[in-house]
Amino acid sequence: MQFKEPDCPAVKGFIETSFVDWKGCLASVLFLGGCNFRCPFCHNRDLVLNPGGLEDVPIEYIVATIRKYRAQWVDRIVVTGGEPTIHKNLYRLMGLLKSEGMKIKLDTNGSSPSAVKGLVNDGLVDAIAMDVKGPLDRYSRWCGINVDDRKVQESIEFIMGSGIDHYFRMTVVPFLHREEDVYMVAAHLQGAKDFVVQTFRPDITLNTAFSRIRPFSPDRMNQIKANVSDIMAGESVRGKEVRPHLSIAGKTDQDNLYS
Amino acid sequence: METTDLNLFVRTSEESIAGWDRSKIVDALIRETLIDRDTAGEISKEVEQMIRRSGIEVITAPLIRELVNARLIEKGLESSRKMHTRLGMPLYDVDSLILHPNKENANVPHGPEATNLTLAEGIKKEYALLSVFSQEVADAHMNGDIHLHDLGFVDRPYCSGQSLEYIKKFGLDLPHSLSMARPAKHAEVLLAHLVKFAAALQSHFAGAIGWDAINIFFAPYIEGMSDNDVKQLAQMLIFEFSQQAVARGGQAIFTDINIYWEIPKHFVNVPAIGPNGKFTGKTYGEYEKEAQRFAWKLFEVYKEGDGAGRPFFFPKPIVHITEKFFHTDGHMDFLNLICDVASDKGNTYYVFDRGETAKISECCRLSFKLEESDLLDAKEPWRMRYCALQNVSLNLPRLAYMAKNDDTKLFNLITERFILAVKAHKEKRAFMEKLLSLGENGPLALLTMNRDGMPYLRFNLASHLIGMVGLNEMVQIHTGEEMHESRRALKFGIKAIAHMNLLTEKMRRQENMKIVLEQTPAESTSYRFARLDLRYFSPHAGRIMKGDIASGEVYYTNSTHLNVKHAMNPIERVTTEGLFHPLIEAGSISHVWLGEAQPSKEAIADFVIKTFKHTTNDQIAFSPEFTTCNKCHRTGRGLADTCSYCGSTDVDGITRITGYFTKVSSWNKGKLGELKDRYRNSEFFSERRKAAAND
Repeated sequence: MQFKEPDCPAVKGFIETSFVDWKGCLASVLFLGGCNFRCPFCHNRDLVLNPGGLEDVPIEYIVATIRKYRAQWVDRIVVTGGEPTIHKNLYRLMGLLKSEGMKIKLDTNGSSPSAVKGLVNDGLVDAIAMDVKGPLDRYSRWCGINVDDRKVQESIEFIMGSGIDHYFRMTVVPFLHREEDVYMVAAHLQGAKDFVVQTFRPDITLNTAFSRIRPFSPDRMNQIKANVSDIMAGESVRGKEVRPHLSIAGKTDQDNLYS
Repeated sequence: METTDLNLFVRTSEESIAGWDRSKIVDALIRETLIDRDTAGEISKEVEQMIRRSGIEVITAPLIRELVNARLIEKGLESSRKMHTRLGMPLYDVDSLILHPNKENANVPHGPEATNLTLAEGIKKEYALLSVFSQEVADAHMNGDIHLHDLGFVDRPYCSGQSLEYIKKFGLDLPHSLSMARPAKHAEVLLAHLVKFAAALQSHFAGAIGWDAINIFFAPYIEGMSDNDVKQLAQMLIFEFSQQAVARGGQAIFTDINIYWEIPKHFVNVPAIGPNGKFTGKTYGEYEKEAQRFAWKLFEVYKEGDGAGRPFFFPKPIVHITEKFFHTDGHMDFLNLICDVASDKGNTYYVFDRGETAKISECCRLSFKLEESDLLDAKEPWRMRYCALQNVSLNLPRLAYMAKNDDTKLFNLITERFILAVKAHKEKRAFMEKLLSLGENGPLALLTMNRDGMPYLRFNLASHLIGMVGLNEMVQIHTGEEMHESRRALKFGIKAIAHMNLLTEKMRRQENMKIVLEQTPAESTSYRFARLDLRYFSPHAGRIMKGDIASGEVYYTNSTHLNVKHAMNPIERVTTEGLFHPLIEAGSISHVWLGEAQPSKEAIADFVIKTFKHTTNDQIAFSPEFTTCNKCHRTGRGLADTCSYCGSTDVDGITRITGYFTKVSSWNKGKLGELKDRYRNSEFFSERRKAAAND
């Protein structure tokens, strides 16, 4: 096959058909290795810390698979990581996928607004999902590494104004985040198309100590989600019912930390 | 020497203690076997001498019987010994049965009723193998060449497809029942009749009871009811069936309800039966809106789950997707609703009835194309009562061990086993004929009741199922590759099933019996075959076996399915597995295991539509996993060791075992091994790549 693109970033993982990575659609998913963040709760440890140890998925195989299914089954693909935008040659891969007629969703942590802008301006992106790790004022705390939160802010602003289908998402980690932090992020993201709050999954984590943290119960998460959607709709939640709930829940938090 | 001088007491089977009487042995031998009086007398004397020598004071009747049997063997009277056999169980087995749960069938709870069921099944199983089936068939079952399903229910047919129309038209008028009910006037009463009739049928069939087009047949009763009342009715129906764990052996009735969004062509012009069993003057085509209302509410109830938010285990909703479905108003809304249920609770089964030929679903496992001669059935839907008499599965991997890579030998062995399965069917059929010939005074009175000019069980239409276990492993042994590994292996698998399909045709004509190929659910059979092959075909079998040999959690891949562990694109799975479905008339299904993931309903709906349009797959289901807490009685997503709500460790896992949901704690070891292996569409590194990363 004629896909000798020496510059394509190496693809480390490939889900051919996923039901969950692009809301409402079937989509393929590509995982790129390496990340500039070190979020302690990250569940793709190998992909972040040891991408070199993971075998590459040949681009030829990916293209062949895409061609096989795009006409009848799957015409969308999610590019995720790791952090895709750390690869300077990401546009090569996305361009290749575009030329195969795929719709592309980019997952990013927003640390490289220039990369995101470039890809969007080149018409290589049909949707964006950006992780917001927590309130911007303490960004290095969430990410386990020094991060220029101005870049993150720049990405948020660009994505919200880009007119491209997008959503933001945040993984809520007990012990690391307080419930309030979620609401601060929600308030900050008002006007965005969607803000999805995800439950932390402890099975494999980058910082192994985090694998002993128990996630918030589904009840608590549902309450948080309800509050978040109120905030996104422009209603102030803070100070109302959240405070008392917090103090009670705060206690169980401590109890639940290491069980 | 006279018997009277032996001072010995016998504990008889009539719960009394009798004095020793040698003539009882003679009587029994003459009554039960074919030996002459002199030999019988001789044997009785020998036994008496032996007992005398032992100095024993109280002896049980079973022991005497076995002593007599020992004499019969010594005299070479093997056939008489067989006739003189006593069926029963060792004390130790009964003790552990009463104390420990039965894991052969996860739909059997643990309790006194369940113990009764298992004990009775044990004896009937022995009875079947000794008396119903020939030695050849019984031996083949015992050593695991074939598996005769539900032997403990040898005196009943296997599974059945039912029509609500029968009770609508004739009321609940069962032989020997204490009271007779005339046709129902109200929807609730009809529902009560339905549930009671289902319970009565459960005690006359071994397996599933399926109900065709339930929402359509309820429709005339729903006219004029408010949405709330319809919802209430839907709730009653689902709860009644899912809580019926009080009947036979404490088992829930294994029920399927078939649901259509559209009125399928073969029912459109059929006169509808309404309250009091009278024709309403309209046709079912005119009840589309009512039928849809009921279907919608049923799925609303499924979406909510039971009181603890768990999925309902029964009744299983089977939604038929036909060409007409896509031309019926509101089908996308309905599809989204049932996909929401599939994603959230997993209940929905999607059955694809492609093409313009009308199909009737006979029961959960079997649908057949409506031909000219069958149109009469659809016009008078109360006649749509079908059954399969028995199910026999072939152990395919074993044939490959035996064939030693010789194609001709392998196919010849398949033929031999197939013919043996047909022989088993003929023997069961003869036995059933005997029971049914006793009519309304016989043991199967319910099945012989005659309300519409023919017996309830239409024996001449009964199917005989032949299933297969471990096609994937058979191909692996024979070709060196599993079916997902190469086109060559896959083609070989298809060739084998095509061969079986051909045999079905031939035997059907030759024996004039409706023989049908099916995908065996093989909940315990794949485990049983695997264990037996480990015993008889070691060490070869050890290399082939799926699961974990060290923990004993071994299994063969079900029917014609592909390796459940292989990280496989679900599209590829439904497409490739679907290649087999046109060759197999009954029970074909592909599973998409979801694990913890909760896809959006739109993504599932998209997948379902594409599966209908682009594959030959007959049926798919999506299976999520749950953890339900015994302490706080709530249910969370995924299989976990602790409750995600309260942190309790007193939890049960719930997911689909084969064709139904149940608690993981009740699963047999083979299925547990499979559960660990199931690919849940979330791994994105291959096993090889992961191993490399960890180095």
